[in-house]
Amino acid sequence: MASTLERVPWEACVLEPHRDPALESYVKKRTGMSSPVIGYFAPAPWLAKALVDLHPEYGLLLRLDHELKDLVQLVVCQENSCRFCYAAVRAMLWAQGMSRERIQRIEGDLTRADLSPRVQAAIAFGRSQSRTGPAGARGAREALTKAGFDDDEMRELAFAVALTDFSNRAHTIAAVPTRPIERIPDALLTRLLRPWINRLVRRNRYRGRATPLQRAPAPPYAGLVQAYAGSPIAPTIAGALDGMWASPHLTRRCKLLMLAVIGRGLSCGACAPELREALRRDGLAEATLDQVLTHLDAPELDPLERLLVPFARETIWYEPAPIQRRARALRERLTGPQLLEAIGVAALGNGLCRLGAVVRDPA
Amino acid sequence: MTRAVLVAAVLALVAVLAAALYRQRRRAAGLQAQLDAAASELQHLQEACSRLAPAGVVQRLVADGARATPEVAAERKVVTALFADLVGYTAMSERLEPAVLARVINGYFQRMSDAVHEHRGHVSTFLGDGILAYFGALQPNPWQCDDAVRAALAMRAAMRDYNVELAGEGLPALSVGIGIHRGPGLAGLVGSRERMEYAFVGRTVNLAARVQALTRVHKVDILVTEALRPELDGCFVLDPMPAEMVKGVDEPVVTYAVRGTQGPVAPSR
Repeated sequence: MASTLERVPWEACVLEPHRDPALESYVKKRTGMSSPVIGYFAPAPWLAKALVDLHPEYGLLLRLDHELKDLVQLVVCQENSCRFCYAAVRAMLWAQGMSRERIQRIEGDLTRADLSPRVQAAIAFGRSQSRTGPAGARGAREALTKAGFDDDEMRELAFAVALTDFSNRAHTIAAVPTRPIERIPDALLTRLLRPWINRLVRRNRYRGRATPLQRAPAPPYAGLVQAYAGSPIAPTIAGALDGMWASPHLTRRCKLLMLAVIGRGLSCGACAPELREALRRDGLAEATLDQVLTHLDAPELDPLERLLVPFARETIWYEPAPIQRRARALRERLTGPQLLEAIGVAALGNGLCRLGAVVRDPA
Repeated sequence: MTRAVLVAAVLALVAVLAAALYRQRRRAAGLQAQLDAAASELQHLQEACSRLAPAGVVQRLVADGARATPEVAAERKVVTALFADLVGYTAMSERLEPAVLARVINGYFQRMSDAVHEHRGHVSTFLGDGILAYFGALQPNPWQCDDAVRAALAMRAAMRDYNVELAGEGLPALSVGIGIHRGPGLAGLVGSRERMEYAFVGRTVNLAARVQALTRVHKVDILVTEALRPELDGCFVLDPMPAEMVKGVDEPVVTYAVRGTQGPVAPSR
């Protein structure tokens, strides 16, 4: 079941996999399955955990239909040319019984007739958010409203899109090997075990339950977390952010600068002001902040920040092979955990901004 | 006897039906393969279109299908336009063999396009020996002015390297004039029914071309307008040039020659 995405150039992985039994057992406990690639993210455990915890499959969605979520994720991965995530979602759809033909039709976007207007609207929303970012959010939201989505469903859909944008960047920039997962639907063993895999997948995915926020979210991104109050998504995003801030490989200021650049690049009205305020509180002079956001550099930045600020900008719109080569070039100047953390911060920043654009001005 | 004939007839009927079914299945498989190939082709086409026009425009046209009209996707936006032109091309074109000339000019276009792409620009069109490129047209880009000037500096460096290659082959050196201006205009698909392209229409493009022509007046290779200057990083070394009148503009146009960069190393990709 070859896909057009398999022809997208993909460089060798820039990371070394590490065995981490505690992390592996965490993944297995959360998802019911082991992940063949989690070892690549082990040096930055917050990122590895965020990739699992933020996955909408496991207890985060209250309203949105899982199959609809899968379809939207498929087109977002396609838009982002993430061969890894695309193959993973495709394999998931196939394992659940969707025919290869139907998957290919959805990929080609040719026979819209066999998709309901609701599914079409959700897919269009996913494409729009990935292609045009927050700039296209208003129109995309209106189309969703017309198709009958209520605010809660819309927020969950936006989360599924944003999470996929995050995951796509983490796997693409690191150039995580794709072949093993691309081969899954064609391997004899998996074809024989398809019904069993289907049962396993269905057994392990579960709906979330309304979850109150235990504490008021701390900025930056407080507005965005608050917008999901009552949903299990809110504490999960807050937890992922806490993990990112606590991780020691990059300074808090460096992370904030990267996130602020992404917020500006995507014109994220929800995130950019909070990130700016956080940098001010962190002691960065207003003039320096302006200089960095306007020109992606300032003499007051330390050498690591001067490397990673322009890198953050490059993660907003990219093609896989050039961004992977860029990450490889960075690898020569950063430690492995530093590079991984930089990839994770950029990926999360991109995902959150796309989410913020939808939350900012609810329909 | 009758029974044997009946059985034979049934068997023959079954055989005919089986053959027909087999033929139908093969035909269906063939059609499915064609459909898959068409789907794949369309996907590639859509991806290719996304590199030629903003993704949002492609998306709207694809979504509207047969009802799509290019006018629907037109929008006003602020873009930085870069216009580059070879100096002395006409004289050179009369001296070189057509095949050599084509190789030289293609080498020039390739190097200039690479420099533009490297800095997130989009080459809109080749006009004779000229190149028109935009920054901030395909995707929102708040750093479009810096990008355009960095691209121009990269074009200058690429031209220097290319001239070393040309000199090695005994060919004349090339030089390029580059004009950059930033301003609003109408972005969208324009053209005739037979041929359309994503373009940015308005005074901004015209002025970039006029400013490019001023490079010969001021004897410099890169000029930017006053509209760009406040947006540019302080690391760029700019020299003010005397204001000049240009066709189509009522006021004298103030320009700055870009000498290079100083101080902190500019962010590079």
